Amino acid sequence: METRDLGQTGHESTVATFGAIALNWLEQEGADQLVELALERGVNHFDVAPTYGDAELKLGPKLRQHREEIYLGCKTQERDYEGARDKLERSLDRLGVDHIDLYQIHGLEYESELEEITGDDGALAAIRDAQDEGLIGDIGLTSHGDPGLILDAIEQIDDLATVMFPLNPVVMAKSDGDGDSEYDYEAVLERANEEGIGTLGIKAFAKGSWPSTDELPEADRPYCNWYQPVDRPDEIRERFDFAASQGLTSVVSPGDPKLVAMVLDAASRYDGMAEETQRSLLEAARHDESPVPEQLHH
Amino acid sequence: MAIPRTVTTALADRPVAGAVCLEAGAGVGNTTAGLLAGGASRVYAVTNERKHAKSTLERVRANADLRTDSPGRVAILEADLRDIPLPADSVEVITAHGLFNVVPPADLAPIITELTRVAAPGCHLVVDDYEPLPDDAAVADLFALENAAAELADGRPMLSFYAAATLQRLFVGAGWEFDRTRTLLEPVPWTETHLEAHAEVVHSRANRLDNALGERLCEQADALVETIGSESVGEMYSLAFRWPA
Repeated sequence: METRDLGQTGHESTVATFGAIALNWLEQEGADQLVELALERGVNHFDVAPTYGDAELKLGPKLRQHREEIYLGCKTQERDYEGARDKLERSLDRLGVDHIDLYQIHGLEYESELEEITGDDGALAAIRDAQDEGLIGDIGLTSHGDPGLILDAIEQIDDLATVMFPLNPVVMAKSDGDGDSEYDYEAVLERANEEGIGTLGIKAFAKGSWPSTDELPEADRPYCNWYQPVDRPDEIRERFDFAASQGLTSVVSPGDPKLVAMVLDAASRYDGMAEETQRSLLEAARHDESPVPEQLHH
Repeated sequence: MAIPRTVTTALADRPVAGAVCLEAGAGVGNTTAGLLAGGASRVYAVTNERKHAKSTLERVRANADLRTDSPGRVAILEADLRDIPLPADSVEVITAHGLFNVVPPADLAPIITELTRVAAPGCHLVVDDYEPLPDDAAVADLFALENAAAELADGRPMLSFYAAATLQRLFVGAGWEFDRTRTLLEPVPWTETHLEAHAEVVHSRANRLDNALGERLCEQADALVETIGSESVGEMYSLAFRWPA
């Protein structure tokens, strides 16, 4: 599978990142099999979070077995020093490892959060201290929120190594490229690339928002995803090729285990996408409703 | 509303900044928006459909960026492209984005003559349109039905897909120098919304026909929309020309 420089971290990530949230929906045996499948396909970048049910626990056994092959990303939604430190220690414990390669501020949504995180008693100070102690490697940020806020974070956090944000034809078609629009993740991608910051794309496979729960109760959704995904192999491949062609470092696999194998297959066959075909996808998605950022407050 | 990539791609290598521009066939104003965003000093958006004139105006009014310094930067002209209400040699960039597929063969020559008349020396012309669809394209059946309804109601087809090579020869024959071609979309996404809009045209024309025949055309159009759903097929191209300085 193709690998790309993860910004200036010195790590070359595969063009697909395994989103370990998918493990939450599986029994341990199935979780082990899915991790093995990702590794067999050559994926070397894994991403997990304490908020993904028991995904950290289920990732643990295979992670420890293959620790050297995996660049491990984890996250914290805590915003203050103590909270971030506690969550990091808890994640290290649940994963059963002594080092996390990429530790990310998870789900930045509000300007006030950015102020708190970057303050003297903020999460970033705890993460930097953990970095000095060798508990974590690189520092990252994830957000499904306002692209302008991510740009502010890039401006304010000098040691930011990666950003994770939504990128798919639906939001790209609504982007006007000037960083002002609520969908302008394209501006984030461009800025991150200019700054040598690694870029991890989520929601690449989003087709739209789920119907309201009155119309389709959550229990009846056919996929364990925050958004309604495309689900045919040709569509999955098209979406993967599109996202990978935009200049992202890596495309994160979706949350439902049923989709992961198709994404890994697409990733292992990735060989670019013609510009006119990229525009075709944008044109087809131009009038679609975006699942971003409506699904923010989950 | 963001400007479609097809528009920005087609305009990317044209000297729009500071130019007096003409959008021939304004539609919903996508290209007018693209020209204004590209820094055109003035844009004449010409359309013979009142609803397109209105939607282009709304588009410009709704977008603060396009309105910047712009009282008078855009003029929407409700007019026939065979008789453009502008003086000769007055326009520096002309665009026809998705125009010619709704121009019947008989109107090609008068429109090309008028676009040529208003072109200033050194004028740039961008013609974006669709290659004829392959024979096995499912949407071609809907377009054929649309043409049949239009022929029966108006005595002329609704859609004519001209090959890039055909339009190239026509403009070169009118004295334009060919500059470049590029592919804007391949394949072209004919979405559910597009298909419904084409079925709507069948309905509007069929309403003017004998009841039984009209009803059958409408039924067939609705059935095709239902069966096809959406289809990605064909190519949208962009041609660029230069009027000799």
